[in-house]
Amino acid sequence: MRLQWRWAALKNGLLEDAAYRVEFIIGLLGSAAVPAAIQMVLWYALFHVGTGETPRTEIAGMTYSDLIAYTLVSTLFTQVRGGDHDFDLQEMIRSGSLSNYLLRPVGVVEFIYLRGIGGRLFTAGLCLVVGAIGMSLVGMDPTRLFGAMALAILGNILHYQVGAALATTAFVWEEAYSVLMVKNMLVQLLSGELIPLNLFPEKWAWVWKSTPFYLYVFGPTQYALGKWSHWDLLQALGTAGLWMLGAWLLIRVTWGLGIRNYSSLGQ
Amino acid sequence: MNPLRMLLEVLRVQFKNNWVREAVYRTNFLTAVGVDLIWIAIEFSLFGVIYANTPTLGGWTQDQVYFFLGVFFSSDALFTIFFQRNFWNFSDLVNRGDLDILLTKPVPPLFLILTRWINLTAFSNFVLGFGILLKYAGPAGFQGGWHWLSVGFWLLMGVLSAALIRFAFSIWIFWTERGFAFSRLYYQFFSFATKPDTLYPKWIRYLILSALPFAFIGSIPARALLEGLSLRESLMVAGVLVGFWIFNATLWRAGLKRYQSASS
Amino acid sequence: MSLSQPVIQAQRVSRTFKSVKKKEGLRGTLELLWNPEHQEHRALDEVSFEIEAGAFVGLIGANGAGKTTLLKILSGLIPATSGSARVLGEDPFKRSMTFRKSISLVMGQKAQLWWDLPALDAFDLIRAIYEIPEKSYRERLDFLADLLDVKALFQTQIRRLSLGERMKMELIGALLHWPKVIFLDEPTIGLDVLAAHKLREFLREFNSREKATIILTSHNMEDIERLCSRVMILKTGKILYDGKPQGLIQSGERQLKVSLLETPDLPAVATLTGLAPEQLSLTSEDATEEESKPNSNHLWISLTNDQIAPTLQKLMSRYTISDMGIQGQSLERVIKSIYETESRETGSKA
Repeated sequence: MRLQWRWAALKNGLLEDAAYRVEFIIGLLGSAAVPAAIQMVLWYALFHVGTGETPRTEIAGMTYSDLIAYTLVSTLFTQVRGGDHDFDLQEMIRSGSLSNYLLRPVGVVEFIYLRGIGGRLFTAGLCLVVGAIGMSLVGMDPTRLFGAMALAILGNILHYQVGAALATTAFVWEEAYSVLMVKNMLVQLLSGELIPLNLFPEKWAWVWKSTPFYLYVFGPTQYALGKWSHWDLLQALGTAGLWMLGAWLLIRVTWGLGIRNYSSLGQ
Repeated sequence: MNPLRMLLEVLRVQFKNNWVREAVYRTNFLTAVGVDLIWIAIEFSLFGVIYANTPTLGGWTQDQVYFFLGVFFSSDALFTIFFQRNFWNFSDLVNRGDLDILLTKPVPPLFLILTRWINLTAFSNFVLGFGILLKYAGPAGFQGGWHWLSVGFWLLMGVLSAALIRFAFSIWIFWTERGFAFSRLYYQFFSFATKPDTLYPKWIRYLILSALPFAFIGSIPARALLEGLSLRESLMVAGVLVGFWIFNATLWRAGLKRYQSASS
Repeated sequence: MSLSQPVIQAQRVSRTFKSVKKKEGLRGTLELLWNPEHQEHRALDEVSFEIEAGAFVGLIGANGAGKTTLLKILSGLIPATSGSARVLGEDPFKRSMTFRKSISLVMGQKAQLWWDLPALDAFDLIRAIYEIPEKSYRERLDFLADLLDVKALFQTQIRRLSLGERMKMELIGALLHWPKVIFLDEPTIGLDVLAAHKLREFLREFNSREKATIILTSHNMEDIERLCSRVMILKTGKILYDGKPQGLIQSGERQLKVSLLETPDLPAVATLTGLAPEQLSLTSEDATEEESKPNSNHLWISLTNDQIAPTLQKLMSRYTISDMGIQGQSLERVIKSIYETESRETGSKA
């Protein structure tokens, strides 16, 4: 019984995504192809384009092919991370349509997540397949992809949780849109989506290590590429779990406070 | 009255109305500046990390890249101030049929639509971007002197290009209700504008200088200011802009026709 | 343009548009991709009429009858699929600048003013758009504001006004450029009785003083009855009636209400009086609750003037009548019955 509404939400969301098939595919291609292209362009410029001096062979311990490999593999996980359903939450708070959901016998935060996850899971499956084929063609070991994808999915949940907690600022300020935008931009940099995190100079490494964002993209990519050991992965999974627990508690607290504030305003 | 004077008067009133108490479109000042600051910081860090490993990138020194970023952010801020919200509202106007009333007015509806809202808060973003431009102009090798006059011209080119491209992506709302896919695509391609065009391999570079001229927003103005454009390039820029103008005008007419035939 | 030429001319104006038929389920969606089935919808069917300057015309019809489509064609928003329309001597769809400056379209449910602005600033934009000279602008603004009694609200954001006040502002905004032809689509919709009344008075005043030609669509019979010198009834794109509102009522029926001592058997009454069974009813919309109760012995008969006396005679020969009354038909009832007659005759569902 408790499972029923969850399953319904999932199915519903997937159907909705399926109705917008064309947009879905265009969006996917755009969000995968363009950032990857830009990254590769940076590597190309770093290694080949006119420094005038002897072309370098490595940067921060990574060769040109290392960087290309990173770009391509990380793209698989970048598609799994995103989904802007925390924006939906803040919009609901801002516009007052949250009230509809508060009357239903289901948790609104969880409901919105489940409604959006269908498409994401489909994408994750797609990326697995594409990645497995691609990696086998190049002679790399594709089995690590499964472990990596598991971590990426945990990352997806955690990403939403953080967003959901931040969305509660909409209860207090007029909107949380900007807060969420800032969060997304920081995550882009600190998850390893823009550049491999080990390119960061040593003295700044603590910045990305102190947030869980590296678990979204950097971690899975390193494991898939063989740079992380199985033990590293297990540790990462455990760390993710801890962060998720903390986030879950944070959501309970912030939403509890927020809804009390919201209802008392009689919206 | 001659039509130009009428349009100028309408423009004046539209702008004036943006200052009226309670009508002012205000995004939260602090967060607007905050978001842009973070964005600039990230772009700066990105290049910072790269330049920690190499003295030049695609022929650009670090100072020159930062100057480029200043130009780009200034152009982008100007676009946000004058056009962003108007484009954002555009799909609603079409879907809800609110375009009808505008069609009965003796002023081109596009003019009314694009001059309606001004985002005054984004002015602070312009100040930020322009400040960066000023700071790195010297170190980047900007000649200064009377060249400063051309800064205004090139920023104008940047805004105009951004508007033309954005229009080309928004116009499809006449043919499909779900224009948001095109909006998403626009923002994704927009990332190409955040790097100097000389970095890109030939075929991407050709793309962002012609069919999707995102390079016109920041990269071309920056290069024009620092070292000037060759005649060939100047002609190409002019050609692409004219081409886009014609393309957009054609699509607008076709879109309007479709809007009117499909209406019940 | 000479005075004798009609301001609005429509000759066999038709408007059809295609929509795509989508069947249910996944199969339906797939079919859409390679073999979409189109259905044609005829919004207007060979509509013809002429309207003189200064006329106040009412357009009546059910939703989907074509009223809004007709207004949109006459104001130049959409083209006629066939036939021709001319307004002020021009083809409206060409939407020349002179045309746009001479007409006004007000749609009851859509705003034309920017609602975030105070009315005065919104009007300033109208002034700029229509190039209204400063002096005329002030005069007209005063005139309209006095007529509608809204001067005090000019500095208030339109969004904050009540529906009635907003509608008044919309109307002022629509008239500032002193249009020669005014198209009003449901202007009193959602207004309370008093606000609607004020609006009507204003429109009547404006029409008589300025001799502007006004076409009004409305579901509200009061609007039509009080304002319009001419009425056109539209149904499924065709004009059913075009003439004076009084003409409708005269040619219409009366209602005879009879109270008997026993509950009448309708078929028997029909045979007795020679009237059709549909003309007889044991209830009526005008009936009070008491009268609507079963076994209340009331009978409502719809008939023409000359049928009243013979029918009463026949009734009295068989029944005892304890009370009776004769009512004129309201415009509303007449129109309803025109609709129902039309449906019966064409055999289609309303």
